[in-house]
Amino acid sequence: MKFITIANWEFKETLKSKKFLIIFCLQISMLFLMIFVFNTFTVNIQSDKGVSITPSLSGFASLDIDDQGHLFTKYINPSLIDIKSSNYNNSLQNLNNGEITGFVQVPPDSLNSIRNIDTINVKLYLDYSDPKRSVIRDEVNSTVNTMATSISNSWIDSLIPQNTTQTVVNQQGTGQSLQIQILTNAMLAILLFLPLFFFGNMIIDSVVGEKERKTGEILMAMPISPSQIILGKILAVEGVIAIQIAFWMIILYIMGFKFADPILIYILVIITALPILGVTTIISAYSKNYKEAGIGITISYIVVVGVLIIPALTYLSVKSLVSNISPMTMVMRIFSGETIPFWQYFIPILFILLVTILTYWISIKLFERDDIFFGPRPRLIRLFLELISFKKIVK
Amino acid sequence: MDSNDFIIKIDSLNKSFGKIKALDNLNLEIKRGELLGIIGPNGAGKTTAIRITSCILQPDSGDVLVDDMSIHSDQIQIKSMIGYLPEEPNLYERFKARDLLRYFAELYGVPKNRIDDRINELLKLVNMSHRADDRINTFSKGLRQRIGIARALVHDPKIIIFDEPTMGLDPATAHNIREFIRGLKGEKTIILCTHYMDEADSLCDRVAILNQGKIIDMGTPEYLKSKIHGNIILELKVRTPNNNEAELIKDFDSVEEVDINGNLFLISLKSKKDIKAIINVFNNDILSINTKEPTLEDVFIHTVK
Repeated sequence: MKFITIANWEFKETLKSKKFLIIFCLQISMLFLMIFVFNTFTVNIQSDKGVSITPSLSGFASLDIDDQGHLFTKYINPSLIDIKSSNYNNSLQNLNNGEITGFVQVPPDSLNSIRNIDTINVKLYLDYSDPKRSVIRDEVNSTVNTMATSISNSWIDSLIPQNTTQTVVNQQGTGQSLQIQILTNAMLAILLFLPLFFFGNMIIDSVVGEKERKTGEILMAMPISPSQIILGKILAVEGVIAIQIAFWMIILYIMGFKFADPILIYILVIITALPILGVTTIISAYSKNYKEAGIGITISYIVVVGVLIIPALTYLSVKSLVSNISPMTMVMRIFSGETIPFWQYFIPILFILLVTILTYWISIKLFERDDIFFGPRPRLIRLFLELISFKKIVK
Repeated sequence: MDSNDFIIKIDSLNKSFGKIKALDNLNLEIKRGELLGIIGPNGAGKTTAIRITSCILQPDSGDVLVDDMSIHSDQIQIKSMIGYLPEEPNLYERFKARDLLRYFAELYGVPKNRIDDRINELLKLVNMSHRADDRINTFSKGLRQRIGIARALVHDPKIIIFDEPTMGLDPATAHNIREFIRGLKGEKTIILCTHYMDEADSLCDRVAILNQGKIIDMGTPEYLKSKIHGNIILELKVRTPNNNEAELIKDFDSVEEVDINGNLFLISLKSKKDIKAIINVFNNDILSINTKEPTLEDVFIHTVK
C-alpha cells in the first residue's frame, strides 16, 4: 500500500504550496465572476431590455401611426423601427418634410368592423425618395399578416368552445422560463465539470517533473512498483479535485443555485476526474518535458470536453440512451429534477470505469518502460503495436 | 572462494540504447562487505551497469543476482537491499531535509517507531542536524550530496551504490564524503563509480576498469599498478624530442618501456641504477626531471589507450 504514502505526501505538499493556494483562490474568484456574469445574462434575457440576437433597426427608420383603436399598434414590433402615434394631417406633413419614412392609417372603427366581420382598409403612405421605405413596407405587411392570422384564430376559437384550452408550458416553481431552466442546468453542469480540467498541470508536474528534475531515477530505485507510483500520484490529485469540487458546489449553493441530490452529483463529478487524470497521465508518462506534455494535454482535453459536452447537449434535443455515457448528461438530468431509473446511473459509471482502467493500464505500461524514461524513446506506432500485442516486440 | 561470498553476480549483461551498445557481455562478481570501484572513460557503461543492478534499467539479456535473487523476478526485494545515490542527488526541492528523509523512510518501509531515531542518526552522521528543518532548495551542492547520502542509507541497506559521489564538489566536501564512505567500509557492500583515480586508489578494495561495456581489467589497486611495467617512472621534459634518443634509452637494462608524449619522455624503470646514464643521453637538452611511482591513473591511461 505504498501508493497511499505517495498520495499522502504529494497531497500534503500540494496543499502547503503557495503557488497552489494562489491558483486555488484565482479559480474560486473565476467561479464567482462566472456566476455573476451568468446571473446578469439570465436576468437580461428575461427582461424587455434583454439582449437579442436579432439585429435591431431602432433608429434606422421611423413610422407614424394613426390608430385610434390601438389595433395595429398592439401587433407591431416596437424594437424594430421608431414608432410614433400621430394623426393624419401631422403625419402627412412629417412625410412631406422627410422626417419620417412612412405613415400607417388604421380606420378608427376597426374593432367594430372586425366584430361585424367587415374588411378593414389599412393605408400605408411611403416616402418613395427614401430607400428605407422597403423596411417599413415589409414590417407593415408582416404586422398586418400577423394581425389577420391572430384575429382569424380568435374568431375560430370563439366558435368552437372545446378548443379553448391552450397549450400549457410546464414550469417549475423557480419562476424561470423553460429555456432559462435548460440554460441554467447546462451552465451549472459545465461549471461543476470545469475544475476537472484545471488539474492537468498537477499531473504533468508530478510525472513529467520527475523526469525533468531527474528525481524519477531515485523513485524507480525504490522498492515500489510503477503501478503504485502512478496510483499514488493520481490519488493525490484526485484528493485536491475533490476539495475543489466541494468548494465550488458550496459556492454555487450559496449563490442561489439549488440542486437535488448534491451527494450523487458530487460523486458523479469526482469519478469523472478519474479517466481525465488517466488520459493526462498517459501523456505525461510519454512526454519528455513540460512543453511536450502541455501540447498533448491541450489536444486531448479538446476530445475529452467533446465526449462530455456533446452527449449532454444532444440529450436536450434527442433523449437518447447513448447520451447517458457522459456523466454530464446525468448531472443535467438530476438538475432538471427528472426521475431517472436506477439502472441508468450505471451507463456513465461503467463508461468511466472502463476508460479509467484502460488509461491507467496504459500509463503504468508506459511508466515502467526504461526506454521512455531514459531514452531513446520508441515511436508511438511501435508503442501502440506493443501495447495491443500485450508484450514487448523483440528488437 | 565459496560462491556465497559474492553478494552480487553480474552475468553476461547486455544493454543497448538504440544503436549504441552500452554493455557488452559484462561479467562481474562483488564480494560481501567489499568496496568495489568501477572506473572507466565517459560512456564506458558504468552508470548503465549500476542502474541495471539497482533494477532501474532492464537489460536486453543477461542477469544480475543480488543475494541469489534475480533482477528479473525479485526486483522489489533487491531494491529494498540497495541504497542508490545517483551522480546528481536529485532531491525534491520543496521538501525540508527531515521531511524528505521521512518520506523515503516511509516508502522503504522503515518501522514507524524507528523513523525519527533513524533520521536523527543519519543527520548527525552526515553532519546536517543543524539544517534538518531547512528546505532542500536552500542547500549548496555539497549539502545536497550529504542529504542524498543520508537518503540512500535511510533503510540501512546491505548494499550501497555511489555514482560519482564527489563529482563537482569542492576539495574539502569531497574529502568529507570520501571519509564517510571509508567509514562504511567493511560494514556494507559498496560499489563506487568514479572518475577520480586517487579516490578509487585510496578507498577501494578492488577496482574494475570498464571500457566499451566490458571489464578490461580488475584487481586490487596494488595489483593493477604492478601490472604497469617498472616500479619507477622517470619523466623527462626536453627541448627538442628525438626518436634516436628514445632508441638509445631502450638499450639500458633497467628500462622497461619508453613513451613519448610531445616533449615529455615517460620512461618505466625496473630500478634507479641507470637514471644518471639516461640523463646523460640528453646532454643539456633537458628542461625538467621528475620521478614517481605508477598510479592508478597511469594504469587507467595505459589500459584504456
